[in-house]
Order: sequence, then structure tokens, then C-alpha cells
Amino acid sequence: MRLGRSRIRAGLVFGAVIGFAAAPAATTGLAAAQLNVRSFSAGLGYEYLSRTVVWNGDTDASRLRASLVTARADFELDNGIVFSLSAGLAPTDVAALTFNRLPIGLQYDGAPLTGFVFGAEAFVPVHRYSDFEIGGTGRFVYSFGMEKTWPLEDFAVEGEAKGSMSWLEAAIGGRVSYLSFERIIPYLEISVRWLHAGFEMTETLGDLGGTETKRVDDLGFGIALGADADLTDRLGATVKAGLVPYSGGVDGLVTVGLLYKF
Amino acid sequence: MTKPSGRSLKAAAVLLCAVCAAFGTGDASIPRSVKRPSLSAARQARPFRVEGPVRRRPGAAYAPDRVLVRFRPGVDEAYADGLLRSYGFPAVRRIPGIGVYSVKTAAGVSVTETLAMLRRNGDVELARPDRRARLADVPDDAFFAGYQYALRNTGGILAVTPFLQYQTTAGADIKAATAWDSVKGDSETVIAILDTGVDMTHPDLAGKIVSGGHDFANDDDDATDDHWHGTHVAGIAAAGTDNSIGIAGVAWNCRILPVKVTDQTGSGWYSWIIDGIVWAADHGADVINLSLGDLIDDPFLKDACRYAHDKGIIVVASAGNDGTEGVFYPAAYDEYVLAVAASDFNDALAAFSSYGPEVDVAAPGVWILGPAPQWYVGTGAQPYLFASGTSMAAPHVAGLAALIRSAKPDLTADDIMKVIRYTADDINRATAPGRDDHAGYGRINMTKALAPYIID
Repeated sequence: MRLGRSRIRAGLVFGAVIGFAAAPAATTGLAAAQLNVRSFSAGLGYEYLSRTVVWNGDTDASRLRASLVTARADFELDNGIVFSLSAGLAPTDVAALTFNRLPIGLQYDGAPLTGFVFGAEAFVPVHRYSDFEIGGTGRFVYSFGMEKTWPLEDFAVEGEAKGSMSWLEAAIGGRVSYLSFERIIPYLEISVRWLHAGFEMTETLGDLGGTETKRVDDLGFGIALGADADLTDRLGATVKAGLVPYSGGVDGLVTVGLLYKF
Repeated sequence: MTKPSGRSLKAAAVLLCAVCAAFGTGDASIPRSVKRPSLSAARQARPFRVEGPVRRRPGAAYAPDRVLVRFRPGVDEAYADGLLRSYGFPAVRRIPGIGVYSVKTAAGVSVTETLAMLRRNGDVELARPDRRARLADVPDDAFFAGYQYALRNTGGILAVTPFLQYQTTAGADIKAATAWDSVKGDSETVIAILDTGVDMTHPDLAGKIVSGGHDFANDDDDATDDHWHGTHVAGIAAAGTDNSIGIAGVAWNCRILPVKVTDQTGSGWYSWIIDGIVWAADHGADVINLSLGDLIDDPFLKDACRYAHDKGIIVVASAGNDGTEGVFYPAAYDEYVLAVAASDFNDALAAFSSYGPEVDVAAPGVWILGPAPQWYVGTGAQPYLFASGTSMAAPHVAGLAALIRSAKPDLTADDIMKVIRYTADDINRATAPGRDDHAGYGRINMTKALAPYIID
């Protein structure tokens, strides 16, 4: 049931992000029926993101780190709008997350949990000034299916803990691109980023048991430098590195992609 | 199990001389109490340098660039060295004697990735992060380090008197110091001490008393101790801790509700105890300690225990000091009361500790130092004394129950009873593995009950 709600939430966020990102296109008066796919690319992507958050009920911050390995497809439309869809795996690390409301408190300090991930991204060009182009970006990533069971040892009775986790991140922002280079388009991107994560831990120790769900909703902003490059006529690469400041430190994000243009 | 011939409380108005038995010890080799710890013993604590508590150091739980690895038996050293080098670890150091390697992770490779890589190798028996250790929260109470083996036993000599000294075993304790790193309790959590009363002016207790309580022996609102037993028991459970004087209580920050249910001889009627349980349950108790009892079952006493339990109160009672089969009531009311046996400074069960299927857990109950009224020990003596009995074991468990309730107010009384049982150390597993009638599930372990279990 909880997972179902999470998926509904993911769907709503997905729609909102893509809708918001595509809104400028509507203002240009272009009818959807008139849009044709100018180019289609497919390839592989890797993304690392970290977010330092305070989970509900906690007083100390802990870090959520995810590495996304995805297959990716980019669609560029006639009006310059680019949609990207991606799907793959995402090992996620939530080191030192503590479940203190369980009968026996548990501290998760294990290896990253691997789950599925799918995402969507859009870039909408809005205006061009000389060699600069201003556009809007929207992005949505949802990771789910992270489940694992651990034995609880050294107690008078047998026990186990079962954890399941999901998270989603949505970002909306603006991008300024520099277009005067022939094969590379560097850009600066500023975005508002919302992270929602949930981790449900169920503990069973003999006839003693309990469930605790940790949640976090965190809003931050990120600033990133990136570039899209044509390595050859068919082969393209995309790289992006950014920072997400929080009170007391800075989180990072890195994206690398290699795309083949059809 | 002895059954009363009549069920009526009046008819069964047995004067509980046996309550006294709960206070003493059934083992003739151990005196019932030593009223006055010798001045020399008291003074031994003074020369010790007293440091303030060592606080938790913030930082990572484990080294970010190092792991510890051990290979399976039969994997020779040269092969293991070569294997680790082949992974490209920049530094590998063998810790002699135990065959463990400290390995520096490769640049850009995290500890979790390194561990995953090593664990996939069939020759590796164990690969673990290099965890950060820290000094436990040690209270500065004067007698903590030298005398309270029950809370933290470092394996020294327990000098009860200059002529009565015992070698103790390191680790034969309830792991209080490391548990206090996680939980010290809060002052809203109240332990009712149903006993001979409490010396509310005692310097180690005055700041921990909720109210004057109630005296059912004299029917007034002044539960002042006219014996010594209740003061001692209250101190074990929740004496002022980290206040530089006297002893540390198990429930560092929790408070005490004195309820006097015996007279100055240390005996009381069942009706006083029944009244006391109900009164405590209705006056804010979260935990009730009953270091008393008798072999006579009584349905009204059971009803009172059920009343408290159903209100979410954890009821703890001593198993008895007869050293024979037959757990005292109310400890024997298995559904509603935790029955506590006594262990010693070597994690051996005390010979005087009564046993039976109702025993839930054990706790230290041999030569336990606790507060005593100044008038009792005499002018000029330290207001503390050593005593033995399951009476002394029970308040250790009551203190733990209070800390759990403080930390996890949503848990039911049943849940807390199970946490205490299932986290106990099976101290007599060599002779009776698993739950048994002498130690129950074992000697309580505060750290396992209160500190988070680490999943890795």
C-alpha cells in the first residue's frame, strides 16, 4: 500500500515536472501536432548524487548517496526541446540511518541497497541572445525496489530485520548555454531540487516485533556546470558537475553520458 | 507451588515475615548486610582522580579509507598478502597473532565497495569496516569506578571490607556505561519503589524524589524509610548520577516515587503491597520495583499486578532468596511481572537466588553498594552499605526498564519485558543453554537493550 502511494506520488511529480518544463513551449504557440522528432539518441549514463538530510525524528543529519547506472534515450524536437528518458539500477547508501523507535533500535550501516530507477528530463529553449541561449529544465528520478533482509544475531531468540526503501528527486530550473563553439555547448544550470525518500524497517525478534518508517522531504538548490559535446557526427557525450549547498556543507552531483545519434 | 488454604485476604492475613527473607540472603557464607562500609574502604575511592564524563565524539562511524579482513583457516600468509596486493590496495598491514589485515582502500573506491569486493572472494572469512570506538559515558560518582562492578566490571578487586575482598571478572556486568552513551533517561520517567520507604534527604537521592509518596504501614503521606532496605534499592535503580558523590544509579535521569509498604521491621501485609501497587499505578509510576515477596500466592496481589501492567507499567520483582525451587510472589506472576534472579561479580548465579520457570532474567545481586540512611550507618560513616539479595538484583532491571520507557515511550509493558528478556546474556549457557529456571534468559545487558544494533 505504501509503495503504491509512493508510485502515485512519483507519477504526479513526473507529470508536474514535465508539464512545467514544457510550459514555455506552449507559450511559443507551437501545436504539439506540428512537432517532429529532429533527432534521436540512445546510450548509457552514470550519475552520482548525494544529499545531506535530516530524516524525520532525527536530530542529526545523515547522507543519502546514490549511483545511477542507466540506459538513456534522448529525443530532440524541431523546436529545440529535448526530452530524455532513462531506466536502470541505482545502488543507494544511507549510512548511519538509525531506527530508534523499534523495540531494539537498529542502525543501518551496511552496503548500499540496489533498486531500479527510472527518470525523465526535459530542456526547453526559451530565448536566445547572441551566442547565449536561456532555457528551462525539468527533471525527475524515481528509485524503488530496494529490499533486503538481515539476520539479528546474538539475542536470546532468533530475529531478522527487513528494510525497503524508495526515493525520488525532482528538479526545476534554468540553464544558460553558450552556443558559439562548434562541437560543444557548455552551460550553467541553476535548479531547485526536491528530494523525497522513505525507508521502512521491520524488525522481528521472536514474538517481539515492530515497524518504523523514516521519511524525509528536503528542498535545496543546486548549481552545476555542464557540457554537451559531439565527439563525432554520431557519437555525443554529456557531462555535468554541480553542488547542492546545505547548512554546514555542500553535496555534490556528477552526470556522465555517452550517446549514439540515430 | 504452595497454594493458600483460603482466598480471602483477611483470612490469608499472613504476616509477611518472609518479606524479610527477601531482604537478606539464603547463603550463610554471605552476610545479610554490612551496615557500615569501613572508613578505609570508603576512603579508597577518594584518592582516585575523577574525570568528567567523556562525551561522544562526532564523526564517521568507521574509517573512510580502511577495512579489516581475515582469511579462512588454511589460507597461508604469503598467498593472502599477494591476494590483497593484487586488488591494488595501497597499504596492507598484518596484525600479528590473530591473522587480521588492516587494508587501506584504493583511491576512489569506498569502504562499502571494498568490502563487497572482498566478501565475494571465497578465501575471505570476514571483512569489516574499521569502526570508531569511543570512551563510554562514565559518571563521576565517587564510588562508581571502584565499587559498582554491577554497572561496569573492569576485572579488579572488589573490596567490601579490608578482610572481604573478591577478584571480579571483567565484563561480568550489565554494560551500563556503554548503554548510557545511547540513553540516560528523562526525569519524567518514574520508578516507584515499593519497599520500606526511601530516605528522601539522602544526598544521592534528594534530587531524584518525585514526592513524599505514601506510607501504607502508617497510613500517611510520608514514605520516609525507617529501615534501610528501600533506600538501598532506590539508589541502585536511580541514585543521583554524575553528581560526583556516592554511587551511580542505573536510570541516570529518571526519578523515584517512594511507597512504603512494610514497617520498620521490614515486613508488611499483602494489603499494604496491593494498596501500594494500585496507588503507584495511579500516581504516575512508569515502573514498579518490588524487592519483596513471599511463597504464598494471592489472587488480589495478582489483580494488583495486572492492574499496573494493564496501565502500561513495567512491574519488576525479586525472585526470592531461599536458594531453592519456588519463585516468590509477586515475581511469579509471569504475565505481569518480571522475576529477577541474582548473579555475582563473576557472572555466576548467586547460591541464594530462588529459581523456577517464572524467572525471567538475572542481574547482579551480590555485594551491591547502595545508599543507606545516615542514622542507620551512624554518624561519621559514609551513608552507603553493601548488601546482597535478589532485592538488589531487581532494581537493576527496574532501572533498565525505566531507561527503555524513556527512550521508547510507545512500547507496551509487554514489549519492554520482552526487550529485557531477549537482550540478556546467557551467563550459564555452559550448563544450561537457552532460557532456564535459574537465570531465565540470562543476565541483563543494557547496551544490547538500549544501543542500536548495527546492520552491516
